[in-house]
Amino acid sequence: MVKLEFHDPSGTLEVTQQHAPRLASLEGKRIGFVSNEQWQAFRTLPLLKTMLEADFPGIEVLPIDAFPQGNAVIGDEATAKLVKQSGVDAVIIGNAA
Amino acid sequence: MKNAVSGLGLAPDAAMITFPIDMFLPGSDITPLAKRKQEFYDGLTRWKSGFAQSAPGAGPLLSVEGASYEDALVKANNLLLTNLWGDGLPLWPATRERVDWIIRGTVLPRTHLIGKFPPRGGITTVETCAVALAMAGGRPEYLPVLVAAVDAFLDPESNAEQLQAASGSAFPVVIVNGPIGKQIRLNSTFGCLGPDPQRPAGASIGRALRLIQQNVGGALPGIGAMANYGAMRYTNAVFAEDEEGLPQGWQSHAAERHGYAPGTNSVSLVFANGVANIRRRGAKKETAEEDALQGMYRMADFMRTPNLAGLAGYEQGTPGILMIPQVVAQTMAGLGWTKKSMREFLWEHSKIPAAHLRRAGAVAWIEIDSSPVTRASLKLDPWPISAKPDNLVLIVAGGGHPTNSYWLQGYSPRVIGREIRVPESFAQLLADADRDLGCGSDACLI
Repeated sequence: MVKLEFHDPSGTLEVTQQHAPRLASLEGKRIGFVSNEQWQAFRTLPLLKTMLEADFPGIEVLPIDAFPQGNAVIGDEATAKLVKQSGVDAVIIGNAA
Repeated sequence: MKNAVSGLGLAPDAAMITFPIDMFLPGSDITPLAKRKQEFYDGLTRWKSGFAQSAPGAGPLLSVEGASYEDALVKANNLLLTNLWGDGLPLWPATRERVDWIIRGTVLPRTHLIGKFPPRGGITTVETCAVALAMAGGRPEYLPVLVAAVDAFLDPESNAEQLQAASGSAFPVVIVNGPIGKQIRLNSTFGCLGPDPQRPAGASIGRALRLIQQNVGGALPGIGAMANYGAMRYTNAVFAEDEEGLPQGWQSHAAERHGYAPGTNSVSLVFANGVANIRRRGAKKETAEEDALQGMYRMADFMRTPNLAGLAGYEQGTPGILMIPQVVAQTMAGLGWTKKSMREFLWEHSKIPAAHLRRAGAVAWIEIDSSPVTRASLKLDPWPISAKPDNLVLIVAGGGHPTNSYWLQGYSPRVIGREIRVPESFAQLLADADRDLGCGSDACLI
């Protein structure tokens, strides 16, 4: 038998930060959207807002334009700062394609 | 999206809910969203990452066994493909021996960190480059060019993170200046963007870069790279400027764009998303002046396109790369043209009437661009395809024949330059290449 050994070409990944902790429940929470304003986000995100408000008592879902929108700005530190200052418990980010 | 998440240093398995593209089109049915609302709720409350952190540095060696070397080679290629690490063409397995051989081409330690390759964020070292170059059939003397190209690719201003994943089919173009081009058999003349057994370096270097883009950067078609078409991606485009063909007084691209001194080995990395051959030469009894001027108008006509992806490079990048063969450059120079005056002419005559932008809906894309300079350009009628003429990259390269020029449509926020560093043993590596491939000097090549 001939044995060939060779390198895995995919390299390695380094996890340097953890995902945000999940919420215990959605009742009474404050939820925001960070929208890139693409791919029908103006329709899909408001539908999510409606569903969340219908399904969870006391939830507050901010409008989709509560934070700056668009691919050019949603990754900015300034936008992240606004999100933190708003006191939301969680954000939903959309839409990618 | 997993790539984008891991590229931020997070575990790659974020809480994501995915749908077929149909729901994201104008006028679509968005009721699938309502049917899967529980997944959104779970994503906010119950989701947990299942990612297991791997140890930093090179991973363990893969292993296959076969009844013969050929059998093992087939199994190795099958393994690479089934792990989504291949490109469909035969690969050299990156054995320890082969990688060690290629590593001889660098001045850097094999563990030297070049960066994290976007969007996936795979850790990219000199050894990562050597592994890809080994797979792509490369040689040690190619490694300095690949390392410089990867370093340029990972420049934060290249916007490679977006271009790797975007639908616009961006591919890197690596323009090499300096004596290293000829030394390593990089093509600058006939067929310089394609295969050439006498000048094979560009194919291997470009293929290696592409393998890194896919395997380390996560740009896998339809998964991590949403390029509709992905042309030029087997080998990207890696070639040398024909510096010997530059007319007297014309500077090299490296000197003009990056300020490198003559004789400096360098790469210049540009992203493009399309290629077009231009029949530049006249067909009848034109004078030299008429032939030159008509050719200039014809090239400008090809450039006069609302390339909305190219807006990314409107202010500081490039609308594209225009390649002209040395025989045309010499003729143009004889008529008094310079690279600069050619760029100014082409910029002036490739402007697009504002009405044409409006009827094509291009105005909206310009209005939402992040650059104030780009947005302000809407006041101009006709509209120039870049903020200034000098953004256009004009290269002397291609076979010594006057008929055609070549236009690589730009998708490049910046044009990134890097000097190439070669090891002290470089002359020996070139001698080894002569031994292995036959004499590579002009006197020997056909």
